[in-house]
Amino acid sequence: MIFFHSTRNELIKIALKPRSYLGLAAITGLVGIILFALMADGMSMISFVTASFEQTLRFEGKVLNGNLVAFIILQMLIVHIPLLVALVTGDLISGEAAMGTLRMLMTKPITRTQLLMSKFLAGGIYTFLIVLWLGFMAVGIGRFLFGPGDLMVLNSDGLVILQEGDIIWRYMGAFCVAFLALLTISSLSICLSCFSDNSIGPIVSTMAIILLFTIIGTLDVPVFDTIRPLLFTTHMAAWRSFFEDPIPWQQIKESIGILVAHNVLFIGVSVLTFHRKDITV
Amino acid sequence: MSDSIISIQHLAKNFGSFQAVRDVNIQVNRGDVYGFLGPNGAGKSTTMRCMLSLIKPDAGDISLFGLPLASNRTQILRRVGSLIEKPDFYKFLSAYRNLDLFSRISGAPSTKKEIYQMLEFVGLEGREKDQVGGFSHGMRQRLGIAQTLLHNPDLIVLDEPTTGLDPQGIIDMRNLILRLKNEQQKTIVFSSHNLSEVEIICNRMVIIHQGKSVVEGNVKELLNEEDQIIRIQTQEDAITKGMAIVEKYPNAHVKKIGSDTIEVTLQKELIPEVNRQLIEAGVPIFSIESKRKLEDYFINLLAS
Repeated sequence: MIFFHSTRNELIKIALKPRSYLGLAAITGLVGIILFALMADGMSMISFVTASFEQTLRFEGKVLNGNLVAFIILQMLIVHIPLLVALVTGDLISGEAAMGTLRMLMTKPITRTQLLMSKFLAGGIYTFLIVLWLGFMAVGIGRFLFGPGDLMVLNSDGLVILQEGDIIWRYMGAFCVAFLALLTISSLSICLSCFSDNSIGPIVSTMAIILLFTIIGTLDVPVFDTIRPLLFTTHMAAWRSFFEDPIPWQQIKESIGILVAHNVLFIGVSVLTFHRKDITV
Repeated sequence: MSDSIISIQHLAKNFGSFQAVRDVNIQVNRGDVYGFLGPNGAGKSTTMRCMLSLIKPDAGDISLFGLPLASNRTQILRRVGSLIEKPDFYKFLSAYRNLDLFSRISGAPSTKKEIYQMLEFVGLEGREKDQVGGFSHGMRQRLGIAQTLLHNPDLIVLDEPTTGLDPQGIIDMRNLILRLKNEQQKTIVFSSHNLSEVEIICNRMVIIHQGKSVVEGNVKELLNEEDQIIRIQTQEDAITKGMAIVEKYPNAHVKKIGSDTIEVTLQKELIPEVNRQLIEAGVPIFSIESKRKLEDYFINLLAS
């Protein structure tokens, strides 16, 4: 029962903290800007991409539709969302320590594991809401403004065209994997939060780790070949696999496995660290 | 039911190479108002934090309500209300919401009515919906007390509860502690730098110095309350005569501490008699004031 109350408390704190709305506001603002830009000058951008295919292919119908707009938005924003997630979740333990409220909480008859798990759960729910809002803004508003249509995706293997009726479930799958990737960021930032007594440190550290791993992942150096597939950042773009034809299910399963393993690792390290932490502030 | 509320044996805690607590031994019994005394950095707060499992000790045994803390933490903390150091709350939440959040994880969630009653009890009625960020230190301290008492704990632990309060706030806090002891039979442990406060309120105390409990026991016994120190202010030209009169009393110690003031240590029941003798001998008495003994005791103990 105390775990339920603690989770409820964490959600109330997130809901009433002004910082929590930065993420939603940022997504709204950024998607709004992208939608405006695509409405104003989207066709010339599409023409630039399709020009190389015009000698062999002829495009008919509305290429710049809601599905393509949503895909473009996801491509552009999925890199920035981790910061918005870490901004709130990186503060969940260390922010309480900095405020002194962690001391107050830990004099209550709640176990450290219960408190920590309620924070992970609340962080996960917040992350889910961020993804849901991104989905609504990208797919919902995108389709509302630009209308439905077949999705044209350009990837490393070439051009993939997906039928309108074959798209929504792919978006749902993509958002599930994107949520798992962002949940990993949430877990990482909460884990780092256990080591710190100030709120900025874990947020900056989370972004630094993402940046470092992304650089390692993109450097085409053989020495990193063995670790590259194990880095969670390598699998953060796994949502894109849902827009390939055929869908590389094995690759998606591997990505999910790696992301889940990272979540378990971060939660495990957090529990061990927090359990041994002296509350001195 | 055991009368032992807190038992700490040979507590030790290091932070790196720094020995915060070396050997603290404490025994608090049911109904005690127990004072923690010691200079800054003596280890009082560390001991209190260990007692509430905020800090894990390196050595020693801590039992509360007859149960080892390490294996009965949640069971024990349900019966403890505490305010360690300054009262920190969520500044972006209201006083009511803060109490509601803490109450829900205290093991006995309070109703809205109970929270409002508690806020009234500590003098914060009408401020229930105000954000804590706008509260003064005194108001936060009162909110902290409300948080401590809300789940009706058997043991109350307060770490320097009067720090930062104005004189009226200090008196209110002192009265509150005495009310909790006398009317609700609570066991109260509190630390303070104010020695007279401890002397007035506490029946038992510990003095911690350099991480060790140097003295622990009943306040009256430790201070030998049979003897009293008084300061007598008279006229400068009457002081020699006054000293001669007082020195005749058995076991009386007299010393001049100013041009017109003497400090006398003698049996408590002899004070009215000394007063009468001085007046009859024509020594004018401008004031007789009792001097708190804990201050001397504390200073002498630490000096030795």
